[in-house]
Amino acid sequence: MEVHESSEGESILDLSRLNLETLSFDHLSEEKKKETQMLFLPYNRLTVLPGCISLFSSLSWLDVSNNGLAFICDDILRLSNLKTFVAKNNRLDESSLPKDLSTMSLEVVNFSGNRFEEFPRQFLQLHTLQSISLGGNRLKGIPPEIENLTSLELLYLGGNNITSIPPELANLPKLSYLVLCDNRIQSIPPQLAQLHSLRSLSLHNNLLTYLPREIVSLVHLQELSLRGNPLVVRFVKDLTYDPPSLLELAGRTVKSRNIPYFAEDLPDNLLTYLDLASKCPNPKCGGVYFDSCVRHIKFVDFCGKYRLPLMHYLCSPECSSPCSSSSQSDADSEDESSVPVHRLQKVLLG
Amino acid sequence: MEHTELIKPETLDDLIKALHEKFSGDTVNVEEVQNLMESYESNPHEWMKYGKFDQFRYTRNLVDEGNGKFNLMILCWGEGHGSSIHDHTDSHCFLKLLQGQLKETLFDWPDNKVRQGMTKKSERILKENQCAYINDSIGLHRVENVSHTEQAVSLHLYSPPFNHCNIFDQRTGHKNTVKMTFWSKFGTRTPFESTVAQENN
Repeated sequence: MEVHESSEGESILDLSRLNLETLSFDHLSEEKKKETQMLFLPYNRLTVLPGCISLFSSLSWLDVSNNGLAFICDDILRLSNLKTFVAKNNRLDESSLPKDLSTMSLEVVNFSGNRFEEFPRQFLQLHTLQSISLGGNRLKGIPPEIENLTSLELLYLGGNNITSIPPELANLPKLSYLVLCDNRIQSIPPQLAQLHSLRSLSLHNNLLTYLPREIVSLVHLQELSLRGNPLVVRFVKDLTYDPPSLLELAGRTVKSRNIPYFAEDLPDNLLTYLDLASKCPNPKCGGVYFDSCVRHIKFVDFCGKYRLPLMHYLCSPECSSPCSSSSQSDADSEDESSVPVHRLQKVLLG
Repeated sequence: MEHTELIKPETLDDLIKALHEKFSGDTVNVEEVQNLMESYESNPHEWMKYGKFDQFRYTRNLVDEGNGKFNLMILCWGEGHGSSIHDHTDSHCFLKLLQGQLKETLFDWPDNKVRQGMTKKSERILKENQCAYINDSIGLHRVENVSHTEQAVSLHLYSPPFNHCNIFDQRTGHKNTVKMTFWSKFGTRTPFESTVAQENN
């Protein structure tokens, strides 16, 4: 991913594939160390990063991939000009990084192929970060604090153990490339449709059965990968419908009729409840729902894909979905009457 | 039966010259071409100028037009990049790995009368310098770089050349015809050719 095309005048020191176990840099002049901008150390046998690395005061690019590194020493913090740090295929985990890593001004980090089980907390305070690669680790989740990284454009988290996506991810204003392939994700939060800067979304090899209908609002999306997900090809309407509770009916009436209420009128729990109302997407309905709703799936051609199952909630079985898109293969869920009896119990068919 | 001696091409240019010779007649000896391509040992310095990557998807970079008999191109695959399931428009397709590895998954042609999911026939990992072959009578395939840490670069030869092919939706067997474009030609970026969101992957 970080392939550097060398330009004129850049001072590069390439020490890759030299079977180095230790490094002293004694043979290098002070001047050479001070002027080197890019240092390549991949495919050696380093188990620790030597402290003398801090002598490379002009360093902007450091690659220590494919060594046996289990720990990154604090000396690296002195490299105030370091922008790109690549350490793929080592033995790093969340305890390997300097505590004060966020004092650096790193823009690109690639720690793919390591042993991270948790997203490194130090990254969450590195506000200069534009590109994070943590592919092929053991991450179980994504922290919601990721939304603090407002400069983030690329986030590669493919090949981990992630089961869900925090909606806060949608608050990254510059995110253009999001990779979540080869994980265990069962659903995409509809808020992700707010990522208007997103140009490529990689979701292949997960556990998705449908996508949120809101995803069609990502009009600038150029690439979307979905192979290896158990996306449904047919959907029978929800026939088991729990009628709304009295609480829900009262809440719906208050909201849809705009009945005024004030903090003095109601206990806190009811005020909170009323704030949770969701608008029914049917433009002719204008109603709201709280807990009682019906899943509805439409099949839409989108972003090079054929008949993607897109899901949204409606406030009741009688409600109908909003205007369909103009795609040829667009089709609603099947009609009850055309469904054989033995399938009526199933809600979703794969 | 005539046996042509295999002279190992030392450089990419040697390989291209040898391919021109192999394709100078009317018929193609698939085994000989495959052996020839496999025997070239990849040297990144020789193909670096065609190795142009895109952040979001794999790229197709034209190397040689084979006197109209074939197209030779280099494909650059970033981490996780993959293609649709596709056919080869009645042409021969040779695929050689120059760097990294690619997974090839084979599929049978879907049955037009029944709309059902396509099941994979077989899959394999193609390693550096290995050369695979496919044509429409063998079946369809999907090619992907499944690595999350390494890029991949492959050398493709298509004879006769083609610029349209069919892509297939794995869940339904539905097919679409797409036009294929080049990211670069002969080492120079060709931006106005590219179209977006064509792959079903």
